[in-house]
Amino acid sequence: MPGAGTATVTIDQSRCVGSGMCVVYAPATFDHDETAKVVVIDPHGDPLEVVESAVDACPTGALSIATADSPTPQKDEA
Amino acid sequence: MTDVQSLDRNRLKELFDLRSSYNVAMGGDFQTDPYPVWERLRKQAPVHEGTVHKLTGYPGEAFFQGLPFPDRPHFSAFSFAACDAAFRDEETFASSPTAVDPTGQAAGVESSLISMNGAQHRRYRALVQPSFLPAKSGWWISSWIEETVHLLIDSFVADGRAELNVDFCAAIPILTITGSLGIPVEQALIIREWLSQPAKIVGMLAPIVAARRESPRDDLISVLVQAELPDEDGTTHRLSDVEIYSFAILLLLAGSGTTWKQMGIILTALLQRPEILKAVRADRRLLRATIEEAIRWTPTDPMFSRFVTADIEFFGAHIPKGSVLHLCVAAANRDPERWERPDEFDIHRPLKRSLGFGGGMHICLGMHVARAEMTVGIGALLDRLPNLRLDPDAASPRIIGMYERGATEIPVLFG
Ligand code: HEM
Ligand code: HEM
Repeated sequence: MPGAGTATVTIDQSRCVGSGMCVVYAPATFDHDETAKVVVIDPHGDPLEVVESAVDACPTGALSIATADSPTPQKDEA
Repeated sequence: MTDVQSLDRNRLKELFDLRSSYNVAMGGDFQTDPYPVWERLRKQAPVHEGTVHKLTGYPGEAFFQGLPFPDRPHFSAFSFAACDAAFRDEETFASSPTAVDPTGQAAGVESSLISMNGAQHRRYRALVQPSFLPAKSGWWISSWIEETVHLLIDSFVADGRAELNVDFCAAIPILTITGSLGIPVEQALIIREWLSQPAKIVGMLAPIVAARRESPRDDLISVLVQAELPDEDGTTHRLSDVEIYSFAILLLLAGSGTTWKQMGIILTALLQRPEILKAVRADRRLLRATIEEAIRWTPTDPMFSRFVTADIEFFGAHIPKGSVLHLCVAAANRDPERWERPDEFDIHRPLKRSLGFGGGMHICLGMHVARAEMTVGIGALLDRLPNLRLDPDAASPRIIGMYERGATEIPVLFG
């Protein structure tokens, strides 16, 4: 997947309400556990720009993305 | 299971005609294209003083969430950035003017999820969210959507013609929700008529809730009677009957008219653009982008509202505490800051979130059910009705309405 290897998706389950918006945009990257909290099923499941549109789509800011150039610390990794 | 023949077509027409008396309160009779006005307003300023319908030039009074509240100042936001920011700040922009007591005696939308704020909203939403995940779409489709869709098509497939807005689009969502609640088809239409009289709906739901408490089935009411709600103090309680009624009424109000009209808008957009229709027919994978684009281009509910909890400078406007802020998501969805050629219906745009299903904590709970209904419904029409086209001898559909936008009639020929 072009570019996907250089970026890391971080999820914050405490902010997640399980809206499912991320799955609409990047269905090969995200899914939910049985309590409707987001999980990453495959960090390289979708191209980077698709993952970015999923991050933008999250209504509660539960997703973020760190590229290799500008790393941000992992938090609340599920 | 479903007996769609028992839905009287004339009754359907009366109930689902946008211009019929049932929907005039929400501006269903509004015929002007509001988008040029909204574009002008957005260019002037992201936030204006006044209500959306007054600023748009709607002559009468129109009601929706956040209206009328005559004693409060009203403001309206028209840019994507302003609407998005308000959706995402539930502390400043609350979903109801006062705190909600869901355990009180009265069942209704006012005491449901949609009017709650903060932690209370999260707890109630978490309870039902598992049944509304994208992964649950298959359950909704095989339990309630697919059979209804095919029975409806059976009822007109031999005629060579149909009026899709009422005979098809209107019926699917109400039958899906009533089906999931365990309400028999003969009663589905009565429910629609009773939307403004929650007490009557409660009368219909009560025996179903009692029966599911005795012996649960594979339906939504059973999920609700078995669900455990963690309280603020850490203990859990089961939902009371009143809490279940309020949620069911919310689903009926927020999930039936919306999906009907959005599906009509999508079909109108497709039928009026035969080259896109042909492309979608040839490659059914394009249906996903078509649906997302239609929800951006013309969302059926163009406006949602919030109650302002503190004095705030917001996108150039000074908004005093106690005001109502209306979020014109339809205008935001055509903001040129976010979309190129925003007025164009273009299914080949890169997929990008719009505000058609709202945003923030209250983003539509039923959006994956709605998508499933529209995907299965439109897909089945394309599968079963060869050469589907607008009837050239009938008036072409127009999209009308103020706070509930939808198509007039969608007369089609096929075969
Ligand atoms: C295309 C069809 C639909 C559209 C355009 C739509 C749109 C919306 C929007 C914009 C909101 C946010 C309201 C706000 O922020 O105040 C909302 C909320 C909601 N919708 Fe939908 N909706 C649709 C279909 C459905 C369906 C089919 C269901 C149920 C099966 C449903 C159930 C709900 C519920 C329960 C809420 C409240 C969520 C909350 O407050 O947390 N909707 N919808
Ligand atoms: C506090 C929130 C709300 C209140 C108090 C409320 C109240 C009502 C009432 C009383 C009706 C029945 C009107 C009649 O037929 O006489 C109605 C209808 C309707 N509401 Fe709302 N509503 C609320 C939120 C919403 C939301 C969030 C949506 C959409 C997502 C919505 C969409 C509709 C639609 C489409 C209808 C027409 C029903 C239909 O045509 O099937 N409402 N609402």
